[in-house]
Amino acid sequence: MEEMVLDVPVQPPTELFLPVPKRFLEEAYRSDDYLVLVGPQHPGSGHMRIVLRIKGDVIVEAIPDPGYVHRSMEKLAENRLYIQNIPLFERPAIMDTGNVTLGYVRAIEKALDVEVPERAKYIRTILAELSRIGTHLYDAGILAVFLGHTTGFMWPFALREPIVEAMTKISGARITSSFVIPGGVRRDVPWSVLEFVRKTTFVLEKRLKSFEKIFIKNPTVIDRLKGVGILSREDAIKFGVVGPFLRASGVEYDVRVVEPYEAYDEVNWEVPVSDDGDSYSRFLVRVEEIAQSISIVRQAVNELRRIPEGRVISEDILHEYASVASTDIRGYFFKVFGDLTLPKGEFTSLTEASRGTLLYSLLSDGESNVPYRARVITPGWYYLKGFMEALRGERLADLQGIYGSFGYFPPEADR
Amino acid sequence: MNGIDAYREAVGTLMEILSMDHFTSNMVSIPLIQPIIDFLLQVPVVGYIVALVLWKPMFALLIFPGLITLLTVLLFIIWFERKLTARIQWRKGPVEVLRWAGGIIQALADGMRYFFQEVIVHRDAHRPYFLQFPILIFIPVLLPLLFIPAGSIVGVKTPYSLAIAVAIVSLIPVFIIGIGWASNSRFAYIGTVREGFMYFAYEIPFILAVISMILLYGTADMVEIVEKQSVPGIFLNPVAAFVFFVTTVMATSRLPFEIPEADQEIAFGPFVEYSGIMFGLVMTIAYEKMYILSLLMAVLFFGGGNGPTIPLLGDLNGVVWLFVKTIAIMMVLSFLRSIYARFRLDQALRMSWSTLMKISMVSLAIGIVANLAFYGLGA
Repeated sequence: MEEMVLDVPVQPPTELFLPVPKRFLEEAYRSDDYLVLVGPQHPGSGHMRIVLRIKGDVIVEAIPDPGYVHRSMEKLAENRLYIQNIPLFERPAIMDTGNVTLGYVRAIEKALDVEVPERAKYIRTILAELSRIGTHLYDAGILAVFLGHTTGFMWPFALREPIVEAMTKISGARITSSFVIPGGVRRDVPWSVLEFVRKTTFVLEKRLKSFEKIFIKNPTVIDRLKGVGILSREDAIKFGVVGPFLRASGVEYDVRVVEPYEAYDEVNWEVPVSDDGDSYSRFLVRVEEIAQSISIVRQAVNELRRIPEGRVISEDILHEYASVASTDIRGYFFKVFGDLTLPKGEFTSLTEASRGTLLYSLLSDGESNVPYRARVITPGWYYLKGFMEALRGERLADLQGIYGSFGYFPPEADR
Repeated sequence: MNGIDAYREAVGTLMEILSMDHFTSNMVSIPLIQPIIDFLLQVPVVGYIVALVLWKPMFALLIFPGLITLLTVLLFIIWFERKLTARIQWRKGPVEVLRWAGGIIQALADGMRYFFQEVIVHRDAHRPYFLQFPILIFIPVLLPLLFIPAGSIVGVKTPYSLAIAVAIVSLIPVFIIGIGWASNSRFAYIGTVREGFMYFAYEIPFILAVISMILLYGTADMVEIVEKQSVPGIFLNPVAAFVFFVTTVMATSRLPFEIPEADQEIAFGPFVEYSGIMFGLVMTIAYEKMYILSLLMAVLFFGGGNGPTIPLLGDLNGVVWLFVKTIAIMMVLSFLRSIYARFRLDQALRMSWSTLMKISMVSLAIGIVANLAFYGLGA
């Protein structure tokens, strides 16, 4: 067969692109270190690249190269109505829908000074905690598969299924529910669904016991995670680590306690803290948080029994539609939120998302129905530095263990 | 004239060796299908082929424990491992290929897919070695099968069969290191170094366990070893059996010691650059090694082909029992995958150079004591 020659005027690149300074490369070469580029097409890197400088088997330096899933959410948000930004900001961490939308909506509510009905507060709390359980399970699964434990990967994903089912019954969507809207939630949740949610928590608790046997208390898992990737209390604060990872280093900081929002100051729960700061304690703190979330969900369902069904959207935002739309926004959505305009100023909200503190900052010029500037800082972006510092001095094989223990999720960090 | 005489003699010997009588004199007898065999032996060409295949060394080479069983076991154990893992993990596993049999030929389908995929040899690879080693590795993988006895069926009977088999099995990692070297990639390099470290770490306890069993039985001939096991070896020296089992797990890089091929860490290590049928070949190495080591384990510790005799099977008795025992061992090895996470290299090395080494020393001591007790100082 005759070979075909394509006359393409494009030359393939002759020099390799390297995401690190040339000086760094030369230094590594001179000091006889080994440079390993993990990712972005690597089974254990996620959508990012980590440039590792290795001496023997020990990581001397780790340089992250994030941004492979950057979707310019902040810029996109400037061209959308306030209400259209809810599903947009849901995208960074779709399994954490309850928390990420809540943060954005609370920033709007702060600007409009809206008081949310009590029933909506509890429903939001339930949604947020269900998302938290789901995300923690998701990350536990990723951690397990990073350690080569495939059963520990499959079980949490199966365990997420009842949660996803509960979310479906509440909102109609399995994952991306966008259920939280300014002034409350989209519609009231009937008693039968709340009962289902309550029963789901018992199912979860039972199944988690078997997960504990096969993965959490597994001797090989403990060997791999204990004493690995230690972040001391001082380091964790210095590098700006947030959420469960900060608490695993012994800092008792949780936005839900420090600045309680929704119904968090009306339910009883504890902040799990560990002093070790290693990968295993980071994992255990999240496991313990699942138990706390289950308890919060149950209490919230019990509280909802007390509050009469009906009003879930605030009159402050409904105005003339208050009589028809306060239990269900369907049919009035665009009428109510179409030209939602925020007063002039900057409005910031802090939320405790599953992986840590989530910051939304909305800058409004006071006359347009789109934000002048929206700032989102996701927990992943906050603790990326801490994650890289935790890698220093550990072995190459521990990269995945530490990665999984942080539950670093590039789509969330890159936004 | 002398030359011609020698030539005639050689031809005569050759003809004698190749004659049907020579094959039928040492044939596998199976009373169950004896009438069929008798009939087939009467048919001119077919008879010769049947006699050749049923000739015991050829039977060992081609059917059991050789080629056909090896392929069947590969097909089965990959399917079984996936099915078992799926069962534990609340999934279904392979079902779509041959639905009524539960997807049992999934591995065959994957193999065919590999076969029609492009084999990419990247620019930096050492091309000849990169393509040769995955094929050459079948030499140390297939050769030990000749020495493993299934009842009276054995390819090569020699007093050193166990030593030879273990020596050849020890060659497999050398080829894997060659594969990693020829791949010339960063992850392959790391994986190769890991393979080298693991090789030294498990090989010494492994050989010590085998030596303790040789001392215990007083011979390295596997046929005799099987004959001597009125009590299975695992009861005579459970410590050696334990060491052998753990080192088998290490040698076949199964979890929790799947360190050289850790796919989440170094993307299958030495095999990272392979594609197409070459990838298919290198990925079956571990399973083939597992098959051989399971056979050795069955012979050393579970009485090989010994078992209740079924008269109808004749010589196949040993075959059936050895097969059942081997598959049972392989099933246990498959089970490990779904309950353990992967150890780190340094942890595995520490474990094998300290704990496992001590235990293997104990097994060696048991072997020496048993040797002195059974055969006295004179032996």
